[in-house]
Amino acid sequence: MSELEMEVDLEENEEKPYVRTLEDVQSIIKHAKLDAKNLTQVTQALYYPSSTMDDDNLKLLELDTHMHQQIRLGQKLYFKGGHNEKIVLCTEEKTYDVKGAEISNSLLLVPDLKFAAATSTSPLKSPRAGTSSLETSLNDDDDDVSVDRALEQRKVLKIFHEYFECREIRPRYRKIYELLQLTRYSGPENEEYIDRKLLFTYDQLLDTVQCSRKQFDEGLIQFRAMEFEGRMRVLECEYEMRIVNFMLGLLSENSWALDEVEYEETLSALEGIAPTEIVKGLFRIYTTPTDGKEGKYTYKESLVSRIIAQNILQPELKFRKDEFMSTWQEALPEGMRCDEKFLRGLGIIDREGITPCIRSLVEELLPTNIHERMRILFKNKARWTKEEMEPYIECFSTPTLSVSTLLAKHARSLTENGVRYFVSKH
Amino acid sequence: MSKPADTTVNAKVLFRCEKLLFLFVFTLYSKMPILIKTSSPTTLEEYAIVELQGDLEIRSGENIHNLFIGDLYYNKYGQPILIIGHHILQGREQKLEKPFAVLEKLKSKDGKSSLNDTNMDSNATLNRTIDCTILDSTVALENKSRQNTEYVVRALCTKKLIFKSRPKPIIANVATSV
Repeated sequence: MSELEMEVDLEENEEKPYVRTLEDVQSIIKHAKLDAKNLTQVTQALYYPSSTMDDDNLKLLELDTHMHQQIRLGQKLYFKGGHNEKIVLCTEEKTYDVKGAEISNSLLLVPDLKFAAATSTSPLKSPRAGTSSLETSLNDDDDDVSVDRALEQRKVLKIFHEYFECREIRPRYRKIYELLQLTRYSGPENEEYIDRKLLFTYDQLLDTVQCSRKQFDEGLIQFRAMEFEGRMRVLECEYEMRIVNFMLGLLSENSWALDEVEYEETLSALEGIAPTEIVKGLFRIYTTPTDGKEGKYTYKESLVSRIIAQNILQPELKFRKDEFMSTWQEALPEGMRCDEKFLRGLGIIDREGITPCIRSLVEELLPTNIHERMRILFKNKARWTKEEMEPYIECFSTPTLSVSTLLAKHARSLTENGVRYFVSKH
Repeated sequence: MSKPADTTVNAKVLFRCEKLLFLFVFTLYSKMPILIKTSSPTTLEEYAIVELQGDLEIRSGENIHNLFIGDLYYNKYGQPILIIGHHILQGREQKLEKPFAVLEKLKSKDGKSSLNDTNMDSNATLNRTIDCTILDSTVALENKSRQNTEYVVRALCTKKLIFKSRPKPIIANVATSV
């Protein structure tokens, strides 16, 4: 392109490429009919990257406000992903989908480049003052131009035609569940059947699971995982149910009010029934410290209700809703109330027949592919409201892709008696 | 539908799945996560981006390293002017709506693996690891994670100079001056 000076110099000496001089700059200003007085004092000459620059070592990553802030705070970011997975980017809090974006424009990355304000000794004029300042007066005196012009050499670090862009996604922590399911804990007597090599520490799991640390911790709570002998474990459902029942039994045994559960008492009462570490873990998952009563705890109604419901609601069985609800209620400690909403992602209520029925449908056991999952959902139940469907497909939503959008794409909607239902597309 | 047949198939598939799961845990484990470190915020540099439409080309052969591209001027109103060869471009200083981080890969002991590698070389590695037994892979898993690759945030870009308009030719009596 710039054959003005460069070609000549190149042919003469390959080793020493042309370096811009102040004289060249001044002559080009004249040729371009630029008014030197109208330019700021500093001219910056740009050069191609040097050969020592390894092309592959630098990447441009587009940041959103959160990532930008994290970097400004000196926080670390992570790329995570296996060979069968798309790579994701994680901050301590959020997870992003990463995509390479190709562009036809060239992005020249220039360190130390001065922007306009830094090249002028006087403040920049407001842009409104003149229109095209380029081709203004030609009748100027060229003599004083050279006085204060400065030339600075700038090397382009790399020319990019690609950058990585990120889109925030929901954490993909289903893998926590899948990995932990391989080594469910069901009491010390069954430990010999567990392959020790499939036990993972907290850090090992965190490294493999595509989500941020904060989301990972949330995931562990959601899957009711706990640390046992240095490894993360989930409990076999029946075993968990049994221990939790023992713990709940202490309520009536000791005549504790629901919000006056005692930690130490619980631990000592369960000695010999389950390893203390397991009891501690369960206690941490199932209780919260009671507000205003120091040292006392309250069982989480939702979690207690869920584990009990899960135990009643065996797969492949269908229950009449009223019967199920009364069985469920009876199994709960006194003072707790069962509620349909606790069945979220666990079971579905079929209101199509004369008597409403409840069936087990566990979110974690459904396919991870949305098409496949939709097919199974509609096979289980022909008509769904959005609220019913939400727990089963919200894992596919992102901040920009709502459940409603997903439904619009993967289901057909119809309205009956003012209620909007979703049915299979096919 | 014959029930017993179905169940054997299922069992097989299940076993397969489990095996695959281990394999990829292993493969991913050897490389992930890739850490992006941030140098202390106070030392974080600010780089500029100059955006040009299309591509820069040089007439004289392949080796473009260190070659002069052009001059950048600003007028008193802060408008950037770029002169490349005998073309003049007028641009604009613009704040990036979404800033860029400049990530630099730090070479590790074994020196390979980049963002692209982890994205794309799955087949080769998979073939290699497919021979591994579950035992091998999980033993490897037991070992501490090996981090081959690290990126460091070398700089941030929050502003760019964008030259969107067509380059205008400079009509001048070139011969006398050069």
